[in-house]
Amino acid sequence: MYAALKCYATLSALQPENAGHFPLEPDETVERLIARLGIPGEEVAVVFVNGRTAPRETVLADGDRVGLFPVVGGG
Amino acid sequence: MTEDEIVRAIAALSQPAPEPLRFRCLAGQVLADLSRKTGISLARLEILALQNGVAPEKYLRNFTTFSLDEQVRLLESGAALLGLGGLGGLVLEYLARSGVGRIRAADGDVFEESNCNRQILSSPANLGQSKAGAAAARARLLNPACEFEVWPKFVDAASVAACVRDREVVIDALGGLAMRRELAEAAAVAGVPLVTAGVAGLTGWVAVVAPGSASPAGLFAASKGQSAEIVSGTPAPAVGAAASVMAGCALDVLRGRRPALWGKMLLFDLADATFETVVL
Repeated sequence: MYAALKCYATLSALQPENAGHFPLEPDETVERLIARLGIPGEEVAVVFVNGRTAPRETVLADGDRVGLFPVVGGG
Repeated sequence: MTEDEIVRAIAALSQPAPEPLRFRCLAGQVLADLSRKTGISLARLEILALQNGVAPEKYLRNFTTFSLDEQVRLLESGAALLGLGGLGGLVLEYLARSGVGRIRAADGDVFEESNCNRQILSSPANLGQSKAGAAAARARLLNPACEFEVWPKFVDAASVAACVRDREVVIDALGGLAMRRELAEAAAVAGVPLVTAGVAGLTGWVAVVAPGSASPAGLFAASKGQSAEIVSGTPAPAVGAAASVMAGCALDVLRGRRPALWGKMLLFDLADATFETVVL
């Protein structure tokens, strides 16, 4: 099972090399994925799965597109 | 002069627009002279001309992406623009040039040197001066037909409702997240769509919030994380990209179209050319 990850803004420093084809653990949640990437949980403000906001308990499936977004408010 | 006489004068002074456009056009100087002679406002004359198949030349390159009727709607429309920094300065530039008839813009800040990397209204020559003052001068220079109402103050909880009153679109070009939720609420109460955006580094987002629907400010509100622009800054290309999308969405609303980002949020990262649209 693989997901396509995208870590935005300051989170991009922790985006893995293989983000486009990132192997998932069985029944892996977004929460677990964030921890496995080494991203401090409070740094992720919004999670998007397949183009919609999603809670961190969401269990990921093969082919999911996951976007992690920090607080971004500059102008 | 009666209105009929003015319409006849406009028709007589007009000339065919360049191929392949199928209407006529008129130079700005001719309209300015007519305005002076008749005492009728430039905006009113531009609307009269457009309603009679004559486009003011300054808008020629808006067509045929905009129709003549849509250009009339823009001239009759009103926008509230909060923030005249990186996003707001560019949005103002695009709205005024496009022919938005009434723009109310608010910012209580003055320019500082660190604004100059991205804020089109700033320069080394106007440090310490009012952003609102620079915006007023710019808007009047760019499009004398545009009625520009400037609020040289920070909009707060007490004044936000008055700032969005009697407008067809509210544009959140604020820096930071402090007032954004209150602004989204005021737009919802007024029943007006909100165009909103934020930038950090080469990442940005732009959204159009339907009145009363979920807003990005609401999504970010629960987070305890530091706002990413504090570390990554706000470089010009990302601010420009976000401002362009904002202006496009606002002009869609003002000319009576539903923007593609209605109820949605564009996420972009210029570092790897990611552009993704998500549902709010």
